[in-house]
Amino acid sequence: MKRIILIGLISLLAGVSSAAVRVVTSLPDLADFVKQIGGDRVKVDCIARGDQNPHFIEVKPSYMMKLKSADVFLTIGMELELWAQQLVDGSRNSSLDVVDLSRGIDKLEVPTRLDASQGDVHRFGNPHYWLDPRNVRVIVGEIVSALAKVSPSDQKFFEANADAYVHTLEGKIAEWQELMRPFAGSKIVTFHKSWSYFANWLGLDVVDQVEPKPGIPPSPSHTAELINKIRQSKIKAIVVEPFYDTSAPEQLARSTGAKVLSLSTSVGGVQEATSYIALIDFDVKTLAAALR
Amino acid sequence: MRAYQVFLLVSGLILSAGSITAQTTINPDLSVIPRFLISTDDGSRLAEGVREFSRPDFTFQELELAIQAYLNPYAKGDIVLTVPGPDLETAKLGIEETYATILRGLPGDLNIRIGKYRAEFGKLNLMHPHAWPFLSQPLLAKRFFGEEGLNDLGISVSALLPTGEVYTKLTVDLLRGTSVSQATGLTDSTGGKPFYANSARLSSFFTLSDEADLEVGLSGYTGIHDPYAHQRFWYGNIDYKYKYRASSYTSLTIQGELLLNTRKASQDHQFHQFVDVRGDPEVRSITTSGMYLYADYQFFKIYSVGARVDWAESPYGKEDRARAFSLFFGYYPVEETLGARLEYQNSQSDSPGLSQTVNMIALQILFSLGPHKAHPF
Repeated sequence: MKRIILIGLISLLAGVSSAAVRVVTSLPDLADFVKQIGGDRVKVDCIARGDQNPHFIEVKPSYMMKLKSADVFLTIGMELELWAQQLVDGSRNSSLDVVDLSRGIDKLEVPTRLDASQGDVHRFGNPHYWLDPRNVRVIVGEIVSALAKVSPSDQKFFEANADAYVHTLEGKIAEWQELMRPFAGSKIVTFHKSWSYFANWLGLDVVDQVEPKPGIPPSPSHTAELINKIRQSKIKAIVVEPFYDTSAPEQLARSTGAKVLSLSTSVGGVQEATSYIALIDFDVKTLAAALR
Repeated sequence: MRAYQVFLLVSGLILSAGSITAQTTINPDLSVIPRFLISTDDGSRLAEGVREFSRPDFTFQELELAIQAYLNPYAKGDIVLTVPGPDLETAKLGIEETYATILRGLPGDLNIRIGKYRAEFGKLNLMHPHAWPFLSQPLLAKRFFGEEGLNDLGISVSALLPTGEVYTKLTVDLLRGTSVSQATGLTDSTGGKPFYANSARLSSFFTLSDEADLEVGLSGYTGIHDPYAHQRFWYGNIDYKYKYRASSYTSLTIQGELLLNTRKASQDHQFHQFVDVRGDPEVRSITTSGMYLYADYQFFKIYSVGARVDWAESPYGKEDRARAFSLFFGYYPVEETLGARLEYQNSQSDSPGLSQTVNMIALQILFSLGPHKAHPF
């Protein structure tokens, strides 16, 4: 009898330790980090696709179903995912741990004035911090804590994987910085304020946006102003995410000779961005080629 | 004067919420959406045998003030106040909805809602008019529920059913039954006990592809439509919504509903007693129906164009029926903070001894202050 109970207990414990932590992330970039850290001890799914604007995700019941069976929901935070709380409420998952990964990030562009005349300004600052790969160490640290909370017995496994990933990433960061060193101080125009952290990392100067204010569609008067700015500053690149309409940037390019670059902000946004490292690799190399 | 006081109150609330950023975490979310209308139709002089468009009239349609916040970690509160048009001077602030929803902490992950709210019957009833892609209320809703829709005091319990990865929700409501009289014209003045009504909806959401989704719902609603004769009605309804999102800027939505009404009645909603061939009082078994179907195509992010067909009989007889065809166009230059909708509608109503066709053209202007929540499917 004792033997049967012992076998039962061992089986139960084995079952518990091998049960994958179920994680849902708001963006595919975060899903990639979770895969790197959790390996086969996590099951990860994500809400937004890389080719979708993460600010505007429709609240679908199918997303609520993803969260219903999850242990952890990882978000960028800083009100990037204004849709996230509706999904959390709709999931009816009382034990879901919703983690805001922005806690340890040095935030850029925190507004001093907050009203709709400034466009879609985020009150906690610019939320596109994951595009500075130096911030990934902080993000990964938060992810390890969140996973270890659900599966404490795997903490060392998660930490070892996270260290290995950060080590690989730091090697790539040095490579990317070396590649971009000749272009430090180069002026660029972006469609939306998605690239502030990326530009800050590489020492680029974002002169203006195609949007007159964040989230506000391009206007003819602002486009005319931009044409002058691009000509005067001899700007070579206009950076546009794949989900934005390219008609205004193309008009700018035709009038000034600058190039429209389709750079992705997330894994899966372009074909080449199959992982976070591949994403930054693609963005850096495409930009370097255009600035050359 | 009262309307100005309402505007001052609303402005005060908005300003206090906006200027003290640090307190926004405890202040509720506030949003204010006024709608204005410029409309003309060619039906006002039909009785004189004259068909001509009236002089376009600029009217205030409605102001909606929505207040929403978490009450505690388990529950949320929603209050929707409205100032109906068209007369701003005499308009009174009314309560369209006020309810609390317990979102978590209940056994079986149930949600409970209590208060006055738009019941989950069909798809359209849950949508506030400012969120419709068109201007005019579909005939199905207007004829079987009245202008306010199915909006009543009650308690609602909903559960997600165990259907694998498919989202399936069952909602059951116990309602006071006052919404019925708005549609039928028969208000209980006997001072007796309320005549409760019940509604329920079973809906499932299917992901067809990365770009396409389909929601299908079945609803039922029953109550006493004649408080004096204690006569009951039953509504059955099928709703469906298909959405294909080709890109961030382009989408096609097709939505429709089909309602079947059955009831026993001894008079119509004009209080005309039903009589048999001998002239004796008669209780009739009535079965009528209604439907609408619309398609809305959004393009270049800021434009949308669509069409709707409507057809509905009266809840009290097949002889009284109406149909309509509408074309509508929407323009939203800066997300949903400002919008304009234009609609042309051709409607025909037939009742014993009267048949008329009316053409209507209307332009609606709306704007929105406050936070914009993500749209539910």
